[in-house]
Parts: sequence; C-alpha cells; structure tokens
Amino acid sequence: AAMRSRAEVDATLQTAKLNPAELLPVVHCLSFGPQAGGGECCLLQLEPGLCAELEAGHSLVIRGEKDEHAVLCSKDKTYDMKIADTSNMLLFVPGCKTPEELNADPASCNIIHSQIAGFSNNYWELRRCRPKLKKLRKLLMEDPYDGPDSQKDQTSTFSKYTTEDLLSLIQASEEEILHQLQVIDACKIEGYWRILDFDYEMKLLNHVTQLIDSESWPLSKVPLCACLEELGSLEPREMIEHILVSYGRKYVDAGEIFFEMREDKICRAIAQMLLQNAVKFNLSEFEEVWQQSVPEGMTTRLDQLQGLALVDKSSRPETIFLLKVEDLPEDNQERFNSLFGIREKWTEVDITPYIQDLCAEKQTVGALLTKYARSSMLNGVKVYNSRRPIS
Amino acid sequence: WVTPSLSHSGATGTLAQWVLLELQGEVEPRQNGELAGSLLGDLHYTCEGVPVLIVGHHILYGKVVQLEKPFAVLVKQGGDPQPSPTEPHGHYTVTALIKTKLLFKTRPKPIITNVPKKV
Repeated sequence: AAMRSRAEVDATLQTAKLNPAELLPVVHCLSFGPQAGGGECCLLQLEPGLCAELEAGHSLVIRGEKDEHAVLCSKDKTYDMKIADTSNMLLFVPGCKTPEELNADPASCNIIHSQIAGFSNNYWELRRCRPKLKKLRKLLMEDPYDGPDSQKDQTSTFSKYTTEDLLSLIQASEEEILHQLQVIDACKIEGYWRILDFDYEMKLLNHVTQLIDSESWPLSKVPLCACLEELGSLEPREMIEHILVSYGRKYVDAGEIFFEMREDKICRAIAQMLLQNAVKFNLSEFEEVWQQSVPEGMTTRLDQLQGLALVDKSSRPETIFLLKVEDLPEDNQERFNSLFGIREKWTEVDITPYIQDLCAEKQTVGALLTKYARSSMLNGVKVYNSRRPIS
Repeated sequence: WVTPSLSHSGATGTLAQWVLLELQGEVEPRQNGELAGSLLGDLHYTCEGVPVLIVGHHILYGKVVQLEKPFAVLVKQGGDPQPSPTEPHGHYTVTALIKTKLLFKTRPKPIITNVPKKV
C-alpha cells in the first residue's frame, strides 16, 4: 500500500472534524510491518532491576527441561514465568514518539511512517522464586568422590559436571548455583564439581581432629602448613585443605594461614555418622556416645542437629532419629505432606528447621504454617497438623 | 538464553525503545487481505499531549502511561518453532524495551461521513 501523504492526513482530520490547531504538528501513520502477523515477537514483563540489567548489556536466561516449568534467571536471581492474558490488544511500535519527545525535538517533518512490528494479547509475567537447587545435590550425589584410591572413577560411567553443565541443567541463576556449591561443601576435582562421599569425608575429618589432638593445637588456631605436611602422605593435599575449609574458618595471622575449627559443624557431622547406622536411638545413650566421640574441648548440644535429626519426646524412653531436610521434597505442599506423614502433629520449634528453606523473600515460617497447616492445642502446647487427611 | 541484541539497536549501542499501543478488541485484516503492509490509522497528539487515534471511521482518545514494569520485546532466534506460552525454551534476543504505552480505552467515537446537505 502506498504511504499516506500529509494531504490525505489533513483530509481525514477535516472529515473527523478535528481542529489541527489543537494538535501537535507531527502525525504518525501506523501500518503493519512485514513481520507483524508472524508472531515471532513476544512480550516479557520485567521485574524491578531487570530492565537496568538488560540496558547494561547483561543477559537473561530461560532455563528448564521439557518436563520442568521454565524459569528466567538473571545473574543472581530466579523467576517463575507465567503467561498473562489481557482482554486488550497490545501492539508494539518502533520509532513512535511520545508528546514529550516531539516537544523536546521540533521535527523538520510533519509525518512519521511507523510500522507496527507485532501484536499480542498476552505477555510473560515474572515472579521471583526460590532457585530450584535440590537437583544440584542430586546430580552431584550420582557419583560422590571417595578418594584417589577409589576404583570407581576409572570405570565410572556416571556423568561428571562442570560449572557450564550445571548452569544448563539447574533452574537457578549462576550466583545462586555457585553459592549453593559452597554451602554443600562441593569441590572441584579435575575441573568437575564433586561432593565427597560421607564416609570419606569423615575419614578426612578424623585425620585432622586426631592431628589437632596429638599436637595439642588450640581448636581456634590450626595451622594449614603443618596439616599439609603431616597428613600429605595419607591423603591428597587438596582434600586436606578442602576439609579444613569445610569445617573451619580460614584466617591469616603473621603471614601464616590458620583455621578456627567450627565446633557446631564438627559435632553435627559426628552425630550424623552415629545416627545413620540405625533407625533410631535411645536419646540419652546417644547423647553420651556423641559427647565422647567429638574432639576434646568440644561440647555437643541438641540444637546443633536442627534439620538433621528429630527427637521423639512422646516415646518412653525418648528416642532420636536421622531426618535430613535435604532429603525432603522441594515443593511446598509435598514437603508438608511428607512431614505430616512422618509425624502427625508438630510444634513450631520442631518443624521450623524443616520448612525454613521454603520461605520466599520476606516470607516467614508463620506465614507458611498458616497456609499449609492447621493449628490446635495439645496438652497446653500449640501444635500443627495437616489440613487434609493423609492417605 | 535471552540476550540483549546490541546489533539491532542504534549507533549509541543502547537498546531500542519502542512504544506499546493498547487497544480494545482484536486486530483483523480488512478484506481478508494480508495484515502486512495494511494501514492501521493516524496517530495524533493534542497540544496537551493526549493521544488521538483515527482508525477507519472511529476516533479514539487515549492517554500516555509510563509503565511501572517495562516490557522487553523478545524475538526467538534460529527459525525454530515460534515462542509459544507453553514452550518458552530456546534462545531469544531482546530487540527493544518498552517503557511507555498509549492506552486507548475510551469508546471510539464514530466519524459520520454522510451528513445530508441542506437543500
């Protein structure tokens, strides 16, 4: 179609009985561009911060396998994607000026031919969500590292994952993934991210704690060099350093590297080692053995076991059993179903460590309980149970 | 991947800024013809900055709205199946950002063209 002329525009204004004197001099003649009907363009509504990121040249990534709901990731955040329908038609127009822009820049022409690039009656909405990190542990647990003498690695047919592999498989931003790798004490071996086999990890820890004991080092000042020297013949140096980094806080004093050992984490690991050998334990017997098993100078406390073990105060005698939060489902409803399947009624104190990680930005445990549980009183104590009958 | 495509934008290297036009109803090509190339209408602004759109025999008055949440216009790369709401996987380029929309929600005023002349 031929482009409209100013004369045709003016004729239309006259027919429409609009007074040109009341209008800005520039008209946009809108037509549909060659690709307009193709549906190749779509709209993504941006949450605060994302617009600035795009303008700064950063990329956003859509991640998800065929069986997963797609998420959008910036460099440090993850968002659920959802289609929003509008009842109106949205047309996207390049080169269309606003009145402000026209007034600011008195044009030399009085007609702009704008081509509509596309149109839609829906757009993608974003909602900030928790990164889906459970899969990360699952992937790395396919083939835990159990030392250089392991026969496994040579004949291993399991996948090993580089950072790039993880970025393409995990529905989370890069920063969230790298942070989680640190949280789970993963380490890079020959370019692949690995989690240590628990028994191997305890073996390494035991080497270190025994050395600390025999050298009478203070738990707050364990020298890296001496550890590497003394233990280097038993285990790879990288592994010795890794166990110190995992279970201690690194610092420098007079140019030398030391570690302040983390009492809570060490006690917790030893508890796991003890608890994983049976379905449940007599609580007082366990507490005794546990205290005897930890390094000299460390004190065990039940609150070190939050999210790892659960005490059953209703049994006689009281018992304790292993229940790891990382083994539970990632989805909110499934998590609560699982917890109520294990125990019918929970106090807030007991259940909090097992739902804390479900809290979205600015969401509280209380809000989660209100949504997914029903409260009642039991012997003067507030307890929570399932909203629905458990099958 | 959703990458800002700096090659599509102006010489300054910043992302292009487009405008959104929001209209009631649906877009249908006239006379069963192809949509591409056909005219939509004339867009004017009053001196006060009110957008006025003449579409066919209708006048639409609207308003300029600064979007609280801007949009990114995504174009799917690689000639694969079109980006559909259910299959947002693949590589996209951000062609433009939209921070402003022209919202036309008022009932269109018809333009009466056949006014009988007084004899």
